[in-house]
Amino acid sequence: MRGHDADSANRAAVDWLLRLESAPAGSAPYQAFESWLLAHPEHVDAWQRVNAVLRTPLAALHEAERRSPGQLKVASDSLRALPCPSRRSALGGGLALLLGLGTAGIANRMMPLRELLADQRTATGERRTLILEDGSRLSLDARTAVDIQFDQHQRRVLLREGAVQVDVAHDPRRPFIVDSQDGTLRALGTRFMVRKDDAGSLASVQQHSVLLTNRSGRQQHIEEGQAYAFTERSIDLQTPSWRSRADWVEGRIDMRDEPLGQLIEALRPYRAGFLRISPQAARIRVYGVFPLDDSERTLRSLAETLPVEIATHGFCLTRIDVRPTHS
Amino acid sequence: MFSPVDPKHVLANLYSDHHRWLRAWLYRRLNCPHDAADLTQDTFVRALTSRQLNTLQEPRAFLATIARNLLGNTFRRRALERAYLNELAALAPEFMPSEEDMALVREALELIDQLLDGLPLRARHCFLLHRLEGLSQPEIARHLDISLATVERDLRRAFLHCLSSTAP
Repeated sequence: MRGHDADSANRAAVDWLLRLESAPAGSAPYQAFESWLLAHPEHVDAWQRVNAVLRTPLAALHEAERRSPGQLKVASDSLRALPCPSRRSALGGGLALLLGLGTAGIANRMMPLRELLADQRTATGERRTLILEDGSRLSLDARTAVDIQFDQHQRRVLLREGAVQVDVAHDPRRPFIVDSQDGTLRALGTRFMVRKDDAGSLASVQQHSVLLTNRSGRQQHIEEGQAYAFTERSIDLQTPSWRSRADWVEGRIDMRDEPLGQLIEALRPYRAGFLRISPQAARIRVYGVFPLDDSERTLRSLAETLPVEIATHGFCLTRIDVRPTHS
Repeated sequence: MFSPVDPKHVLANLYSDHHRWLRAWLYRRLNCPHDAADLTQDTFVRALTSRQLNTLQEPRAFLATIARNLLGNTFRRRALERAYLNELAALAPEFMPSEEDMALVREALELIDQLLDGLPLRARHCFLLHRLEGLSQPEIARHLDISLATVERDLRRAFLHCLSSTAP
């Protein structure tokens, strides 16, 4: 049985989640939330419970969505097409099942606790390069959270979310380790990148080589120019893509015949609002170099060069769809 | 009256006396021999864990009560499956998911449907629009033509509903 305290903490956590939805990072409600959160361990627990609601099925739906765009929308429509199972009187069929395009960044809407409590984190649209105490350079992409743990035996960076590139200063006595929780990358002196999201991790090497060990103990040497995706259980060689290139360090993204949906994915950490793209538009191939910091301009140039139209709804929602053909 | 009766023994008798009847009863409602056999099995498994097992007056009524519950779940799953297939049918062929992804989505749908069981319809819609489609509260209000305060109340209710049904 859970006590009264847990219930009232749950209620408060739900209220915060709903209230913060429209609050920009760093604003007053945000700060009030942080002090609420840190005021009591029960608040942290409640916040985690609230954020864990639907986590398992949503992760599955996002995974399906990644491979088969449109499945999230299909899932939502299927569930909403059913009558209410409850014995209470249902509202009937008067509700319009409206809505255009699916695929929203739901994970981004929730503010994960792990980011709040991390040592270093970057906000939406923010990139940062840190010079660490050993002289290594650590670049953080937008919406990235890391913990930095150095001692006399090792130099360790815990990547909680987002992407980092490390330019490792040589130190034969202390290996440099990036831990993405799916696995670790170990280097002595080199330059490499690690990206981490809900689906797993990806590492690519820009100079020399690193040793990847995933959580189940499998190992892989990654050589310069190579990229590997890895999870707790798997390690797979990847063909180079925007995800494996580290152009974001210079504030741009280089698409080489990749789907538009991927470019939009890359822009998400750089935009405060929601970007929605239709499955049809997501499949259009894109070629070119795009600036990350001016996503507005990038979107405009896409509308000029591709058969897509971009509609902005208010401040926070942008929809991208294929332009209807007029015959 | 105080002598403990082995529930397995009671169940074995219950099974041999009534399983044919139960399977036929289920078959009439399900119209599928495999589902009827599965649910017969499930009904007896549930019966085993029931405290009333030792004091049964009307075993068939008891079994039918359990079976009716399970039937409800089965019909619900079938309705969900139909709704999903309907939505898939509306997709262009090139957006058809793989068998693997369909299985993934089906499982997620059932899980979500169970979690939302008992939630009023409007709150269910608000919550799905918010969580699955990523709509903001003002957008949901516009789409469902309800007030922002109602959306907020419904979302809060849905979250607390899920939290109470996942509580240990």
